[in-house]
Amino acid sequence: MRLELRDIRHVYSPGTPFEVKALRGVSLTVEPDEVLGILGGTGSGKSTLVQHMNLLLEPADGTVLVDGVDAARLKKSELRRRVGLVFQFPEAALFAPTVWEDVAFAPRRLGLEESEIGDRVRESLALVDAEDLKDRSPFGLSGGEQRRAAIAGVLAMRPEVLVLDEPTSGLDPASRQKLLRLIQTLRDTGTSVVLVSHDTDEMAEVADRICILEKGEIRAIGPPADVFYANPDFAPATVSTVAALGDDGHGIGRPVRFGETLRALAGLIEG
Amino acid sequence: MKRANASGSDPRILPDTVSIACEGLTYSYPGRAEPALSGVSFRVRTGEYVGIVGPNGGGKSTLLRLLNGLLRAESGKVMVSGHDPSESPFQVRRRVGMLFQNPENGLVAPFVEDDVAFGLENLGAPREGMRDRVREAIRAVGLVGYGRREPHTLSGGEKQRVALAGLLALEPEILLLDEPTSMLDAAGRREVLYRMQGLRGEKTILHVTHHLEELLDADRIMVINGGKLAADIPPGRLISNPDLLAKNNLVLPPLLRLAAELGLDAAASRTPEDVAQAIRERVRRRAEAR
Repeated sequence: MRLELRDIRHVYSPGTPFEVKALRGVSLTVEPDEVLGILGGTGSGKSTLVQHMNLLLEPADGTVLVDGVDAARLKKSELRRRVGLVFQFPEAALFAPTVWEDVAFAPRRLGLEESEIGDRVRESLALVDAEDLKDRSPFGLSGGEQRRAAIAGVLAMRPEVLVLDEPTSGLDPASRQKLLRLIQTLRDTGTSVVLVSHDTDEMAEVADRICILEKGEIRAIGPPADVFYANPDFAPATVSTVAALGDDGHGIGRPVRFGETLRALAGLIEG
Repeated sequence: MKRANASGSDPRILPDTVSIACEGLTYSYPGRAEPALSGVSFRVRTGEYVGIVGPNGGGKSTLLRLLNGLLRAESGKVMVSGHDPSESPFQVRRRVGMLFQNPENGLVAPFVEDDVAFGLENLGAPREGMRDRVREAIRAVGLVGYGRREPHTLSGGEKQRVALAGLLALEPEILLLDEPTSMLDAAGRREVLYRMQGLRGEKTILHVTHHLEELLDADRIMVINGGKLAADIPPGRLISNPDLLAKNNLVLPPLLRLAAELGLDAAASRTPEDVAQAIRERVRRRAEAR
């Protein structure tokens, strides 16, 4: 699916002394089969922006297009099935007595056959590597397990675009790496992913394109190397190290991901 | 219970009083076969800064909850500034401040200064001394001039510092920090860590985090995994021990990992500039060798 945002503007508490212009005309496209990373500091508008992707928030001005069709004209239920949104700390919404029941909740609401529901729950739990948790109570799981169960609940809708708002915050490094691998698997099997994070190192490993938001506007958008080398304040450790070499790093190019940066720097040392 | 400060003339030497002591600490959650903590023993001296790392579900949060009496140990002993938290929770909680991941959950009052005063008001502190303590706490976290701001207008890092000021106003001996930076952006994280550094030596600090880079200056790091104390060593020795890291699902932050895999001194690699300088040095030495 191609998800297009055109000149989205959003104002909180308009016409009051608390009025905040959260988005000031943001245009971007989530291309099919890509991981689009959205970076920005606290209050940059990241969370507000992603909530427009399935019209959970309606823009004060601007349009959201789903494969060229105005999203406002689609049924809300269809739009929210096709664009799945995983909030920050999604485990707060776990409620059912077992993980299986929790993940089955949304497909059941779609009115699917019981056998189809079973297939989807199995498939989603397998994707997040949580099949062994199916009979456990969500409340007895560790933080990382809960996070994966909650994400499986959204995957069971088989979204075409999956939006993840800070999916790794509060997770240990091993759980974080599992989630990053899941994001790559989803992309490789035809789901677009929008990843919101303030962890630039992690973003550098998985994103195909990067968008930096600042005060409700796009400061930069494009391939990771272009964006990171031009915006040092958002650069991952790899890019900062290469940049710190200055002219001494001449000839090693503009590596971004950990593996390629390591190879480039090792080559420099060995000559 | 507080003994006299026994440190010598060198201010860097910590006093030999013990703020926290655990012996064979064991705890199981109801309905779970495996204990969340089993046979954990350690001591923390007054004024020490101790990091705690380990996988999710490994027992870190359980430990903090045992230390301030939110949970009662199944067996083993806990002493926190001279008291058993399960016997005298109020004695302990007056001496222990606990800071959580999400600053939003703890902020209650309309203005920053009221929020910082909230804990003191609950203790029935006299009005006059209270003003000074609130002012001093706000100063200590670098928020002078923010007293009349409304908490919801602050950034994540500022909110977390308001929560910290609320703890400091109570003048605790011990701070228990449960992933205080995990919800903050890079700037917010730096602000909060900077203020923690400012409290070093003055407070006994236990800092739980998933980010090893936050603990490079800690006096020591305890690794808790599978309910057991897997290691209790200085930061430099932990980050230069790949086996110990791997066994406990710990991953070096990217900059340190880059340095380590390039064969550079990871412990000396605090900034990208440090790593770049070490690379230049290597390139120069190779050129000379030819």
